[in-house]
Amino acid sequence: MMHYQWPYALAALLLACGLWMLLPHPGRTRVKLGVGLTVAGLGLLTLLVHFGLLLRFQAGLGEQAPQLYVEWSPGLARGEAWVFDGIFLALAGITVGSAIAAVTLRSPVYCAIWFALTLLGTGGLLLYEGAQFLGVATVVVYAGAILVTFLFVLMLAQPQGDSYYDRLSWEALLSAVAGAVMVGTLTMTMASALDAPGKAIGEKATSPQVAKERRERILGTEHVARLGGQLFSTHLISVEVAGTLLLVALVGAVAMLAGENPAVEGVDPGRNGKTFGAAGRMSQGGVRG
Amino acid sequence: MGEIQLLYNYLVVGALLFGIGLVGFLTRRNMIVMFLAAEMMLQGVSLSLVAWGRFHDDWGGQVLVILILTVAACEAGLALALILLLFQRSGKLDIAFWQTIREDNQPKFIDQELPDETRDKPHWPQLTPAGIEPPGKGQELDHRIHV
Repeated sequence: MMHYQWPYALAALLLACGLWMLLPHPGRTRVKLGVGLTVAGLGLLTLLVHFGLLLRFQAGLGEQAPQLYVEWSPGLARGEAWVFDGIFLALAGITVGSAIAAVTLRSPVYCAIWFALTLLGTGGLLLYEGAQFLGVATVVVYAGAILVTFLFVLMLAQPQGDSYYDRLSWEALLSAVAGAVMVGTLTMTMASALDAPGKAIGEKATSPQVAKERRERILGTEHVARLGGQLFSTHLISVEVAGTLLLVALVGAVAMLAGENPAVEGVDPGRNGKTFGAAGRMSQGGVRG
Repeated sequence: MGEIQLLYNYLVVGALLFGIGLVGFLTRRNMIVMFLAAEMMLQGVSLSLVAWGRFHDDWGGQVLVILILTVAACEAGLALALILLLFQRSGKLDIAFWQTIREDNQPKFIDQELPDETRDKPHWPQLTPAGIEPPGKGQELDHRIHV
């Protein structure tokens, strides 16, 4: 039976149309239609990918090759695995849905908040995968530090009211088509690679020996200790270089802003007497009284 | 869910995040939202790396994601400093304002239709006036700085 590829293209096309409709355009946007098309595309993609609607190996190897299934816990029956599948689907749905919202909303503060939800979803997905340290680090560093810095900058640089450049998007159709082509191509390639898992993936990666090793190494206990051991033994130079990079970035950021900020220099703001932003408004408001 | 299915699902979610971030970066004109989309692309790549690391029982995937985290933090600090500088010079967060730094043979992008900044009339509840009149002018109660 030939492996059909048009359903993946259809899902990508639905996603492209939905995303194009949701992106900001001048005038009234068709939000309901855009959301409906995006949900339809994502639902079709879920059916194809998660439930393996067209993959031959899903149906062929389900019962005959039980060693392909890694047991979540020693006593868990296969019938109860739908709970874990449901958790993955919920996390993935939250992540992708809030990613679409973060990219298509008009107010940048709302985009930042939906991006925070995307980061929480990504942290949950990383926890689901067994990367405990990375799940927590994503939430702490990204949502706790980087996003808060974003919100600070938005607070300092936010114009009054909706600005025209937040409600325009350039080349929305081409970008949506490019994104859909990329996602569709990747999904189709993965599907055709998994269609014959013996050749493409290799039986070594799914043998029970490797599954046992996986349970002892990367999925074993003391995850953070093992990760730290790897970081500081095999990847020590990378860690030191990353620390130096952080120092350079800190020095660079301070050097960039210290020379420009008129409050630091103590001179009149601006080179020709005119400034923009909060400092300018305050000074101009003070002049007019 | 078997290991192959887990890998496949995570790769597709990573690809979706990367694709949505790509569309957002190419499309939006607000510098901060563009940067958010770039960070979203990094999240998609992180998911793919961790999935491959688990599949091959290799710590390298997670180590690379830690380094990505570090680089993203540096990039966020420097990019936001740069955005603040650009805002101080131009007064807006629009990236189209700086289009003169493109190559010379590119056509100049002019906004064809600029939507006027209409705001919905705010619906404030009508309460019976009681007590002392609040301080401030009357029209300040109708105008609220929109976040």
